[in-house]
Amino acid sequence: MGFQSKGCTLRGTGDKMTEIAVLVKRVPDTNAQILVSGDRVDLSAVKWVMSPYDEFALEAAMLHKEAKGGNVTAITLGNADCDKVLKDAKAVGVDRIIRVWDDSWSELDSNQAQSALANVIRDLGINIVYCGKSAADTGAGSTGPGVAERLGWASASNIIGLEFEDTGVEAMVPAATGNARTGVSLPAVISCDKGFCKPRKPNVKGIMMAKRAQVEVMSSDIPSSSVNIISHSPPPKKAPGQTFEGASEVPRVVAALRNDANVI
Amino acid sequence: MAYEGLDFYDIESQLSEEEVMVRDMVRDWVDEEVIPNIEEACRDGRFPEEWGKALGEMGVLGMTIDEKYGCAGMSYVAYGLVCQELERGDSGLRSFASVQGSLAMFPISAFGSEEQKMHYLPQMASGEWIGCFGLTEPDYGSNPGDMITRAVEDGDEYVLNGAKMWITNGTVADVAIVWAKLDGVIRGFIVEKDDVGFSAPEMTGKHSLKASVTSELVFQDCRIPKDRILPNVKGLKGPFSCLNNARYGISWGAIGSAQACFHSAKEYALSRIQFEHPIASYQLVQNKLAWMLREITKGQLLALHLGRKKDDGSWFPEQISLAKMNNVDMALEIARMARDIHGANGILDEYPIMRHMANLESVKTYEGTHDIHNLIIGRWITGIQAFTRTV
Repeated sequence: MGFQSKGCTLRGTGDKMTEIAVLVKRVPDTNAQILVSGDRVDLSAVKWVMSPYDEFALEAAMLHKEAKGGNVTAITLGNADCDKVLKDAKAVGVDRIIRVWDDSWSELDSNQAQSALANVIRDLGINIVYCGKSAADTGAGSTGPGVAERLGWASASNIIGLEFEDTGVEAMVPAATGNARTGVSLPAVISCDKGFCKPRKPNVKGIMMAKRAQVEVMSSDIPSSSVNIISHSPPPKKAPGQTFEGASEVPRVVAALRNDANVI
Repeated sequence: MAYEGLDFYDIESQLSEEEVMVRDMVRDWVDEEVIPNIEEACRDGRFPEEWGKALGEMGVLGMTIDEKYGCAGMSYVAYGLVCQELERGDSGLRSFASVQGSLAMFPISAFGSEEQKMHYLPQMASGEWIGCFGLTEPDYGSNPGDMITRAVEDGDEYVLNGAKMWITNGTVADVAIVWAKLDGVIRGFIVEKDDVGFSAPEMTGKHSLKASVTSELVFQDCRIPKDRILPNVKGLKGPFSCLNNARYGISWGAIGSAQACFHSAKEYALSRIQFEHPIASYQLVQNKLAWMLREITKGQLLALHLGRKKDDGSWFPEQISLAKMNNVDMALEIARMARDIHGANGILDEYPIMRHMANLESVKTYEGTHDIHNLIIGRWITGIQAFTRTV
């Protein structure tokens, strides 16, 4: 089944209960075909999933709890359509699920989203926040560092390994000349890359727990927006492939691979 | 590209959130663990032990049974969706889950004592203990009422003698639910693997359900304590109740096999070039694909409606016979048609087609043959039973 995680060292158990949060985001399935209708992306027919890097963050949060005790709260930001990602988190065992939203909000910019999340995290008395290194839809990677900045907390980004200590974590992060073992004291925000653990799967009992779980809705003051999206556009169409036939074409293929594709 | 099931009539909109979550959980596991390994398991003729444990970890074994006994208490529709996804992997895998949940755990939960339920069900739900179901005998398949296996009282024990055949999971089972006549009345008994006088040799040489263990159960003065009888059922109602549940699961499972064959046929037809065009562009092939889609869609609607009736208790057995018979029939035809679309490639184990086809040949005749289900429906229509010469 392979539900065991790997690459994470669990050391001892602390006495202090740690309040752990994991930020999860609902994004279009990474296999979904994204269409632009008019000047806006049309997402009406896509399948939605938890952003893949967030799955590693969720696993890290659960491992932290198992190593050091405490509670795990999954937090998302969005309207009621986003409840499903919280239920998915509940199904693998988080203790509490919270959606941050206010019906007066529409699309939030990064500054607003990070401010809202930071305010709720502060109000909840959280000690450590895990999130994915970037979301599969925008790929901006700003949420983790942005939330840490607003809270004035330590931040470690793109981590590829994790050890749990009584007063913090030791994170392996990519460095210019390899990887750096980095001690991070709590409170902290940790953004997770893939690969250092294997996200656990739900089981039927977890799904039944999720069915019964209530999503708590919290709101927050947010700053006014300073940016707005003017339009969406699809990426340029891929150029058609080229066909080469016969041995006489080999020099042309080699030249194209060397000069145009830069792969040899 | 992740597998997406055919859902022409948006069946998913009729499912609850947790039903979709359970389906997707099993779908992902089948994609990750089963499909990459199933051909090797078939070649080796074995059921991978770790799959049974994984089913227990996922909590899908006996998943409709009460949470009090370590089960999930989920809907029959959720159970059907699990069967569908498992059989998309392989009928042998779905058979394992059907036998464990519907044929071994269900009779304990429905007809067992409270002590029996507390003792067996949690261990079986977790996959720690494997169960099997002994009804069919070498000479009594469609006609189990004339079974030969007998139990007699002897002090504090029952003594069983007889033999069962075509028993899925038999050799690997820790617990066997055995139906035998006590004073001329069919009763259910719980036999454990180490009971004296009990053996379960494996049947070999199958061309179908190769990744499933099929066995004989042999009882030679097999002695079991008296508290191993299922106290709350007498007669054929006991085994038939179990079979109703298993047949219901098969009606969903067959959709999974059909979907696997349809998916493969569609992909192949789109990529196979003949006469300079993909074969999917030819009307004869499109006609076949359209027929497959049509039959799968009808089967899905039938299974879902039956599942809702199972959940609200308004079903009757003939409806299950119709669903099992129809959906296995359509799945087998789709497997054959998919083989045809694949041409020679269809016989290779690079594609799932031939394996599903061979499996479905068994599924067509186990848990009530196609013809017996026709007779069950014929009796419902006419009021005349056609199983024997006595009218």
